[in-house]
Amino acid sequence: MVPQEPPAISIRALTKRYGSLVALSNLNLEIAPGEIFGFLGLNGAGKTTAIRILLDLLRPTSGSADIFGHDCQTDGLKARARIGYLPGELGVYSDLTGRELLHFLERVGGSPVDKGYQRELFARFELSDRDLSRKLREYSTGMKRKVGLIQAFQANPDLLILDEPTEGLDPLMQESFYNVLADVKRRGRTVFMSSHVLPEVERVCDRIALLRKGELVLVSSVEEARKLASRRVQISFARPVQVPAQLPESYDVIESHAHNWVLSVRGPLGSLPSLLASYPVSDLKVEEARLEDVLVKYYRDGAQ
Amino acid sequence: MKVLAALVLQALRRTRRLLIVACILLAGFQVALILQANSVQANESFAQMGNLVPDFVRDVMGSAFAAFLTYRGIVCLGYFHPAVMGALIAVSIALATVPVMEIENGFIDLVLARPLARPWIITRSIIVAFVSTLLLLAAMCAGTGFGLNALGLSEKDVTWPSASLIAQIALNLGLLMLCWSGIAMAVGCAVQRRGTAGAIAGLTALTAFLTDYVGRAWKPLQTVAWLSPFRYYAPFDLVMGDPVAWKDLIVLAGVAVAGYSLAYYFYSRRDISH
Repeated sequence: MVPQEPPAISIRALTKRYGSLVALSNLNLEIAPGEIFGFLGLNGAGKTTAIRILLDLLRPTSGSADIFGHDCQTDGLKARARIGYLPGELGVYSDLTGRELLHFLERVGGSPVDKGYQRELFARFELSDRDLSRKLREYSTGMKRKVGLIQAFQANPDLLILDEPTEGLDPLMQESFYNVLADVKRRGRTVFMSSHVLPEVERVCDRIALLRKGELVLVSSVEEARKLASRRVQISFARPVQVPAQLPESYDVIESHAHNWVLSVRGPLGSLPSLLASYPVSDLKVEEARLEDVLVKYYRDGAQ
Repeated sequence: MKVLAALVLQALRRTRRLLIVACILLAGFQVALILQANSVQANESFAQMGNLVPDFVRDVMGSAFAAFLTYRGIVCLGYFHPAVMGALIAVSIALATVPVMEIENGFIDLVLARPLARPWIITRSIIVAFVSTLLLLAAMCAGTGFGLNALGLSEKDVTWPSASLIAQIALNLGLLMLCWSGIAMAVGCAVQRRGTAGAIAGLTALTAFLTDYVGRAWKPLQTVAWLSPFRYYAPFDLVMGDPVAWKDLIVLAGVAVAGYSLAYYFYSRRDISH
């Protein structure tokens, strides 16, 4: 029997308090190898705190976390040997050149860097030899971000932990990043990324978790999460009609005019065809629920 | 070990400008003092200088006063002049607070996110403290050696400080620097900001210096003056010809070791957050 690979990330009852402030409360999460996992939440929700505990930069008040079966605190060296990390804010010595920084991080990283892969990353993120020979103080925010991404990816780690990876990248570089991420996924690597950019999360993530005030309020696949939000249905009629007095419970009327209704529908649309069967429908448009709608709902309404 | 070497080389590379400038200034100061001693000797002004010194300064300096007002004493002044001691301790504090600075600017996140144990960061900083202390003292000794051999008065006319005397004072001064390095590193690993660590260590050093200085002449302070690390730096006694006070060296080394040990302790337990 082939032994089952442990989860890429396993977090159990993780809590972090700063005095009376609870930054993270009883977080439980499991991420399978090969997943691209989006970690979402407003500023101060506890995303970065959780990430820093995984890297053993912060010590939890209680609970524990494993990376590929290695406890992040007691077996941190083995855990971190399999991680590539991009911090939310890249702190660097600005008197180093980009190349010097990457070389230094390669040396302290312990894992050999495939120079071919590194060159490929330079090309994909459009960092020329000239750029790499410049001091980091001369770099723009976007260029620093690119160096940050390269240092995270260059050792081809099993798990990438990326804190707001596309912050400061222009649209072209964001596209390059998504392509690199797709390659990484094809190679079976795991990605744990926090982001504010919801279209990005919808595009690249398999599953998401949503944190609110340090508490996990949602763990779901992106598809399932979308289903939690209402869909907007626009119906046009060939002749004037009235909205019926009785609509199914999951239907809300947003707008109603003689030739046009706009409805909000929670859940499946199965009952819609029968509802409209007796009406002179000339056009029907269903807007897919956006992840953003779900998250706004969770944040605004405190939905559980 | 490759990882430690990478950390040390990177840290030394970053501090090389500071160290080079400090080495040049300190070596130059030693040479300048030798030229000054030449001038005083040529004018036969040592006795005149002695008469100008107020009584309380004689009290502060004790029996070393006589030795200080000699060619040899002036040459050695560069090793215990308050400006030199202040500069050396400032460099020690600056280098010892690099770990907290790296937490503050976020650089250490990139380093510690890799399979690297936290104690290596402190070990690196201790090695850098030792190397920089050695370099600075070597530059001072080189300045003295060069100044005496190239510009100093002949040994037939004046008494030069012996190489072993210079080495003994440098050893005592080096341990004083490491002592403050240990204190500053321990403070740095316990606080959030480098500015806080520098201010605490710097003000503590100033208080300790004044406590020792004033305590030499003012009896009430003598009861606490033993707490000051400066009490265990005795260049005047060495210039007078006393043997090295090993007890003083052990006290300074002990404080340094205690400081570095606390630094390991605090750094391995603290949150790395900026």
